[in-house]
Amino acid sequence: MLTVPVEIFRFKPGQAQRYDTFTVEIAETAHVIDVIDTVWAKHDPTLTFRRACHHSSCGSCAVRINGAEKLPCIVRLTDVWNGRNPIRIEPLRNFPVVSDLLVEVGDFFERMSAASMTITCEAEGFLPLTVDTFAVAGVLPKTVELPDNLSRFNRFEQCIECGICMSACPTMATDNKFIGPAGLAAIYQARHKTDDPTRVKHLLGLADGEHGVWRCHSAFECTEACPQAVDPASKIMALRRELALRRLRKMFGLRI
Amino acid sequence: MSTLNYSKTRQAARWFDVRRRKAGMWAYALNRITGIGLVVYLYLHLGVLSMLIQGQSAWDAFVGLARSPFYLALDVILLAGILIHGLNGLRLAVTGFGFSAGAQKALFTILMISGGIILIAAALKIFQI
Repeated sequence: MLTVPVEIFRFKPGQAQRYDTFTVEIAETAHVIDVIDTVWAKHDPTLTFRRACHHSSCGSCAVRINGAEKLPCIVRLTDVWNGRNPIRIEPLRNFPVVSDLLVEVGDFFERMSAASMTITCEAEGFLPLTVDTFAVAGVLPKTVELPDNLSRFNRFEQCIECGICMSACPTMATDNKFIGPAGLAAIYQARHKTDDPTRVKHLLGLADGEHGVWRCHSAFECTEACPQAVDPASKIMALRRELALRRLRKMFGLRI
Repeated sequence: MSTLNYSKTRQAARWFDVRRRKAGMWAYALNRITGIGLVVYLYLHLGVLSMLIQGQSAWDAFVGLARSPFYLALDVILLAGILIHGLNGLRLAVTGFGFSAGAQKALFTILMISGGIILIAAALKIFQI
């Protein structure tokens, strides 16, 4: 067992914000979400936080651990604690704080819907997996014949809408209308799933707006912070390239 | 619902907060610091040039001052700002249109090392004046 000091951001409506320090007895193998759970269960039941799946699928527990955006359900305690100083846990940035570690994500989800975010990959519906193709280990299929066009989709569909990229983005700090890395990556994904000119025009119009891809100032923090390797920054840059090429073609009277 | 929101000034300060951040954020912050520095320098430069209106003696007096080690050190700092801002601008122009976005950290490192070499060579020249 370890005795771990943990410093947690506290805020309740009508009260001043502060940091509370707790000393938690916890197993060495614990993850940071276990630390937060223990504080809530054994020290302060008024601590407000969000969590659900405990295995990096729902994205709901995202917080900042020692200043960096992380999913506490997959961050081991021993990876963030130096054995002396308290682990500092704070809510995500660029979201209004509702209470303690809980942030308001309604606006974020609405933005994701507007940006055509789809959670499931259409291609998953026809992957040729059958029971008798499972490997000896009983876990991984022996062979999976991926459709030719799957590679460019399958990374983004790992997006769990945790909001970590929105918190890490310095541009979001000063433009709360910026669609943001997750939304722009969703637009990229939706755009590459369709050849319908009307749909393409709508999606590129969203990306080309005042608060779209040109608002990004290339800090690349979204890609660095993303726990799911979605790489939103590269998607934003790819959208920019397409928009710039379309403008150039239009300028020279070429077919778009 | 009553929520905690931070002021615009506090949010803008995040442009310069590189704690726990990676190379891209360092480049982002450096570009802003050097950008602000170069704008300030531009106005200082115009102010200095306006000394010409006061005649040759005023200008010669300033040039004498500008050759002091302190001013030469300021020249080196100015050149460092130009190199950081300019070379990082090249990186942004390349990656900003979807080319080598995955190599942005390597590009930053290579360009800053190149800038450092140019700066050292230039500083040696400047202090020989």
